[in-house]
Amino acid sequence: MLYTELSSATQKEALERFKAKGFPTNKWEEWKYASLKSWNEKDLDWTPASLHESSTASLQTQNGNTTFQGSLPAGVEFISFDAFLASNPALAAKWEQRRPILDQNSLYDLNTALVANTQVLWVKAGVSVVQAITHDFIVSASKASAIQSRLIVFLEADATLTLIERAFTKEGSAEVLSNFVQEIYVSEKANLTYVKEQDLAANTSHIDHTFITQLSDSQVDLFTFSLNAEYLRNNLHFYSDGEHVVSNLNGLYVPGENQLMDSHTVVDHRKPNSESNELYKGVLMGNATGVFNGKIFVRPDAQKTNAFQSCKNVLASTRATMNTKPQLEIWADDVKCSHGTTTGQLNEEALFYLRSRGISLANARTLLLLAFVQEVIDRVTHEETKLRLTDKIISKIQTSLAI
Amino acid sequence: MLSIKNLQARIGEKEILKGINLEIKAGEVHAIMGPNGSGKSTLASVLAGREDYEVTGGSVDFLGKDLLDLAPEERAAEGLFLAFQYPVEIPGVSTTNFMKSAVNEIRKYRGEEALDAVQFLKMFKEKMSYVNIDQSLLSRALNEGFSGGEKKRNEIFQMAVLEPKLAILDETDSGLDIDALRIVAEGVNKLKSPDNATIVVTHYQRLLDYIVPDFVHVLYKGKIVKSGGKELALELEERGYDWIISALGE
Repeated sequence: MLYTELSSATQKEALERFKAKGFPTNKWEEWKYASLKSWNEKDLDWTPASLHESSTASLQTQNGNTTFQGSLPAGVEFISFDAFLASNPALAAKWEQRRPILDQNSLYDLNTALVANTQVLWVKAGVSVVQAITHDFIVSASKASAIQSRLIVFLEADATLTLIERAFTKEGSAEVLSNFVQEIYVSEKANLTYVKEQDLAANTSHIDHTFITQLSDSQVDLFTFSLNAEYLRNNLHFYSDGEHVVSNLNGLYVPGENQLMDSHTVVDHRKPNSESNELYKGVLMGNATGVFNGKIFVRPDAQKTNAFQSCKNVLASTRATMNTKPQLEIWADDVKCSHGTTTGQLNEEALFYLRSRGISLANARTLLLLAFVQEVIDRVTHEETKLRLTDKIISKIQTSLAI
Repeated sequence: MLSIKNLQARIGEKEILKGINLEIKAGEVHAIMGPNGSGKSTLASVLAGREDYEVTGGSVDFLGKDLLDLAPEERAAEGLFLAFQYPVEIPGVSTTNFMKSAVNEIRKYRGEEALDAVQFLKMFKEKMSYVNIDQSLLSRALNEGFSGGEKKRNEIFQMAVLEPKLAILDETDSGLDIDALRIVAEGVNKLKSPDNATIVVTHYQRLLDYIVPDFVHVLYKGKIVKSGGKELALELEERGYDWIISALGE
């Protein structure tokens, strides 16, 4: 099944590890509700990414190739991972210290094995990139394929960047399993805002691994908006490795008929005086399945950590399912941590109130669901993105409720 | 306008309304009084279409239509309004936005054109003065963190905007101090016209000092056991309900 010319020993070893494990199945504790078992039996196109042609955009990933077209903002480089490591031994050394959490993640190995064109978006020290950089992540294949993509984002000290990622499937694409790894390094006092918009076709499965290392006084505001796909899995790992680090994780998933969306988040607090705020909301429609698994680690050294986690879900259909599992492991004794998960239905009394004023049942439901998700959308500060997401979410909810 | 005949309703296995008869004409104000648990709020809820209650018998004709056959939103579009005893808090939805949706849905139902932003602004401004309500309150999430008085003023503001043919005020006086009560009552009085009617459901007489009824009905154990003019309310205030109950031979 696997055919490819692997270029390095690392890739060969990674591929061996992947083959030994295969795609995750429901027998794996961490993948219990989000099995990819059927992909073990498919006849996939394993052509290495480098053999596919790429097209143009500002920052665009297609078939595993990421390119930057147009002029790069001052102080930003877009170079191959090898060139990045070679250009600056000090940064390379720092890079080696990152610790993505990889247990039960055969897909990371698969990506390492088969990914070709790993590029680095590199923002130099003290550089504040004013305009948001858009990243079009395009899924496209002429026959059933597993596509490996990888992007590295490196922010040096005091750098500021806003990234807007739009993942979508090209019209007419064959069935695809898209396996996307992102490793993000946020140095001291750097600031990253990252919005992910996942709006993929009904024959696309998309797995997003985003590993973020943060050093002292840095802040990351990350948003994951999961709108459409047959299967969406987000592995979002924060490695908080400095003091006064702020990590804000925001998620909104609105799966409908025949869609599964799974958010596995990890926040690993390694050092004192940092905070993380996690707000996830879900609206589950049709026969959708949702999963939220939120881990927070507070290591023995991470005194005075503030870590908050909230996951709220509305089942807008009697056929929808939501699985939630908060996991807090706290080894430090002077910390503030809280978590709460709720899964419920729309408030009948509120529905009746709206209807008694002349609003139809369908519109009353939409109104209440939008009010429920608004809290997450409102946190997006990039206006254009906020408006686009609002429109898309309204239309997704209206369409799904009408079924 | 409204003709209720032998209306019976229950919640679960419990019979609450056991044969209500009531005729209401345009221009009239009817007060429904009665001790706790007599079925007053149930009657209001059944008329507005709350689905917790099952209607087991009788009929309700509202302006020539079978009211019980209509969904709550259709009843609103036909001109029925319920001011809630406990207005619901709805985070994330402002009164202004929700009223815009409501007005335009009702206009669509009636085959009228939607109002635009400018027309809404003008109309809201006028109606706000009826109950002395502030724009900032209307921009906030519906009823969230509102005081008791603010919630009830918001109800009457919505009533002013929707201009119902028949308004049902369910225990609108509960939880109000005397100043708030006066403001709410004045709002209701300003909205009175020869073309509309009001049902005031209340436990106490004091609201009726401000909203003077043409008829007073006493509800007891799911039936109207006595009807009279406004003087009946005063008599109830003075003598309580016991004399009516004992006259029934209970």
